[in-house]
Amino acid sequence: MSPSELLTLIIGIALTVMVFSYILGDRLFFGIATHLLIGVSAGFLALVVIQKIILPYLIMPLTYETGTGFFLALVPLALSILLVLMLFRRGTQVGSIPLAFLGGALAALAIIGVTRGTLAPQILSTVGRFAPEQLMHETEPQWSAILEALTILLGVIAVLFVFHHQGQSKAGDVVKPVFLEGIGSIGQIFIGITFGALFVGLFSSALIALINSLSEIIDFITLWF
Amino acid sequence: MKRPLPLIVGVLSGLVVLAAMFFVPQGGSILATVLNWMIIVAGVALLVAIASLVLTHLRFIANGKKGFLLSLVLVISFLATLVFGLLRGVDDPVFLKWVGAVIRPIETALLGLVALVMMSAALKIFRERGWSALTVSFGVSAIIFLILGLGFLQNLNFPALNGVITFVEGLPMIGARGLLIGIGIGLLMMAFRVLFGMEGSGND
Repeated sequence: MSPSELLTLIIGIALTVMVFSYILGDRLFFGIATHLLIGVSAGFLALVVIQKIILPYLIMPLTYETGTGFFLALVPLALSILLVLMLFRRGTQVGSIPLAFLGGALAALAIIGVTRGTLAPQILSTVGRFAPEQLMHETEPQWSAILEALTILLGVIAVLFVFHHQGQSKAGDVVKPVFLEGIGSIGQIFIGITFGALFVGLFSSALIALINSLSEIIDFITLWF
Repeated sequence: MKRPLPLIVGVLSGLVVLAAMFFVPQGGSILATVLNWMIIVAGVALLVAIASLVLTHLRFIANGKKGFLLSLVLVISFLATLVFGLLRGVDDPVFLKWVGAVIRPIETALLGLVALVMMSAALKIFRERGWSALTVSFGVSAIIFLILGLGFLQNLNFPALNGVITFVEGLPMIGARGLLIGIGIGLLMMAFRVLFGMEGSGND
């Protein structure tokens, strides 16, 4: 093992132990580890933004003496200056202009992205289960496929009813009609099933990470003793 | 009250992007330019956010606020990474190795901690929210998928059982699909509110 490899191993073990000290109720070493993570990540992120975005897309076009590239680069330059002014107390108001530009453009992208990327595929996939070629085999109906398609359709509708909050108001309380409550409860069951499956996936990954970290500590100890 | 200039800028930028996307052959170059500007502005916004974070911690250190030692760790590690990266370049293997040597173990250990936190949170949900359709189905689903995750039942090779397992494994997709459609509709409404000037940074 080379000295640099040994050093990275020792740093890794020390940082892992510092994070796990949280279990023992320690806040100082855990705080140092998390602030170190934030500092290094922020520094790395700033570097990537400067070297991969600001320099090639903003600064380089400004070095062109003529041409449309130079003039087109003036707009983001002006917006960037307004953003930087946000760091000063008096500049917070002008900073809302580039943020509004970003918000408006992102909203437009979200409209296209959500309709094409989420809503259309999900709705088509739900309705597509009712295509005759999926429900019939030659002339015989496929009852399992019909049941599955119905379950999926009703399940999706029931989940959407969970978010239905409109109702009659009695003494300030929002009361849902009974049938909506019933459909909403079925929807909650489907959401619970989804969250349960997601929980298990995330829990398994976290458990693997825990085992990996602990085994690294054990390997390090056995290396020396 | 809404300030007119940010409102006009927001609505205009949104409508230009939308129009350029609908008329792709003609509006392609306009879309590329606006997207380019977006990337730059988003990058600068990120830098401003990072600068604001560092300035806040520098203020903590200068005022000797409680816990300033942690602020010191953050500022020193930030500056060390920035200077080291500027000298060696962001793609330099040595620089990436040392950044990874710090980030990777902390992230892995934090993910490991998440396992313990999730376990206590899963038990807490029953205490906090009681027995409801959501909590019971969540608990039952978690147990079933934990068992299925072991792969023991799949290895028994009973055709009928395999059919049931396939059906059960498809059930989370129903809830996920409903949630995705719900979130999609919500996002769409929000985006239209921004485009029509009813929401966003134009508000005071």
